[in-house]
Amino acid sequence: MNQFGVLFRKEWRENLRNYKIFWIPIVFILFGILEPVTNYFLPQLLDSLGNLPEGAVIELPVPQPEEILQAVLGQYQLIGMAILILAYMGSIAGERKSGTATLLYVRPLSFRDYFLSKWLMAGITGVMSVWLGLLAAYYYIFLLFEQVEIISFLQFAGTYSVWILLVITIVLAASAAMPNAGMAAAVSLALVFFMQIADSLLGAYWTFSPMKIPAYAAQWLYGKPDMSDYWWTLALAIAFILALLFFGIWMAKRKASTAKV
Amino acid sequence: MTILEVRNLTKRYGEQVAVKDLSFALEEGTATALIGPNGAGKTTTLSMLAGLLRATSGSINWHRESGVGFLPQHPHFFPWMTALEFMEMAAKLSGVHSKNALSQSKKTLEFVGLGSVQNKKTGTFSGGMKQRLGLAQAIVHEPKLLLLDEPVSALDPTGRREIMDLLKSLQPHTTVLYSTHILNDAEQMTDQLLFMQHGKLVEHGSLGEVKERYAEPRIRIRFQTARQAAAFAGQVSWPADLDGSAVELAIEEEGDTAMKKVLAKLADTSEGVIGVEQKTATLEEIFIKVAGGK
Repeated sequence: MNQFGVLFRKEWRENLRNYKIFWIPIVFILFGILEPVTNYFLPQLLDSLGNLPEGAVIELPVPQPEEILQAVLGQYQLIGMAILILAYMGSIAGERKSGTATLLYVRPLSFRDYFLSKWLMAGITGVMSVWLGLLAAYYYIFLLFEQVEIISFLQFAGTYSVWILLVITIVLAASAAMPNAGMAAAVSLALVFFMQIADSLLGAYWTFSPMKIPAYAAQWLYGKPDMSDYWWTLALAIAFILALLFFGIWMAKRKASTAKV
Repeated sequence: MTILEVRNLTKRYGEQVAVKDLSFALEEGTATALIGPNGAGKTTTLSMLAGLLRATSGSINWHRESGVGFLPQHPHFFPWMTALEFMEMAAKLSGVHSKNALSQSKKTLEFVGLGSVQNKKTGTFSGGMKQRLGLAQAIVHEPKLLLLDEPVSALDPTGRREIMDLLKSLQPHTTVLYSTHILNDAEQMTDQLLFMQHGKLVEHGSLGEVKERYAEPRIRIRFQTARQAAAFAGQVSWPADLDGSAVELAIEEEGDTAMKKVLAKLADTSEGVIGVEQKTATLEEIFIKVAGGK
């Protein structure tokens, strides 16, 4: 019996009917558009709102298109990650808490398929949202500024997708391991943000860590990262993802008995 | 044939013992009522049998391939799913071949009386409808063993009767173990009675056996007025208890002999007799006796 297909269909319907598959991409697209548009209108905005003395002349350097794309990434790193974590924090913990999981767990359920169906659905939503958002940014940068070289853009977005999958895996594993959605979110946010801060403070001592993916992704826009460090970082990130998948499946099974009966 | 055998089943939560040394067996095709006061460990026991909880110690032996259906006391459904979608998913996850899952789901929804609302979202369902859907998801894969936690407690009398009738119609193909505190219902559908208290099995056997064990040789005589009852109680030499306008006599003799003596006594002394009966303990009385520590 193909349980993965059955469970993925359930996840698909759920994401469709609670509109996650629509509103998450929309938020990413909005942030993707907002960055080039505000940059473009910044002089006018300052002019009309700035309350500057008569005759003051502001000279703003025209931002490079790559810098705007990098700024979009910066927005995603804060708001985007928080949105993905909050959207999927209850994937497993919430089902256990509400008791809806009981009627699944009482069957000969494959917890591997159970976990992976959720992971795939969240992964598709997350990666699709980021690509749509970045493409929207790319298009508006092209309209209002200059075109970013397409190959650089693809390398940039492709590299960043690995980071998105890592974040999705973290939040799902946390949702499997934690007793409720709130704690799953807290653990995920702490992991994603504090480890990034730690990496930016102490990261000079090492050249590869999954936390450096966003930085290496941005480097593609200006040239290319050190390839040895880059591949090691990606390999390490994939190893992290695989380890977290095993951990998440194991925890989903182990904690099944905490589902509300 | 024994379909399920439980030996020394124990569940501990830290210091607290929820279920202690529970042993019993279920014969194929029978209905067993699990009764006992709140907190006796009924839900914990059913959860362990359903595989939702791991036992601390003890063993549960049964043929897993014959399938089990479980209805929790408060079944929770995905509110955004329709009844039919949920059933189809449940059927497939329980191993029903995908070719038959849809037809099997529709048939089962018809059976529990939800055929007309199969395409409605379960979020709009009333308590009674959820209970029916809960039963439907438990039997969609035609399991040999059905575990039900308080299947009728949340329903009104009509709903209770309908669900009990549905459960009866599943026999003898399905072995049913259900917990309940509606003893009237338990009395209507039970081959075996398991009485739990403080996590332990304190009484078990067939309904007849248990009743016999708790039967008291008492004869109850009802009078028109309390005064007549009191007058009669004063005249007899047997131990007599007054209960409003009725008298209960405890006679240490064979039921028939005792009854003859009582009738003879009534024939020449009393006025205003409405009824005379040999008392048998109801399940409710037994419940109170056992729960009260005899």
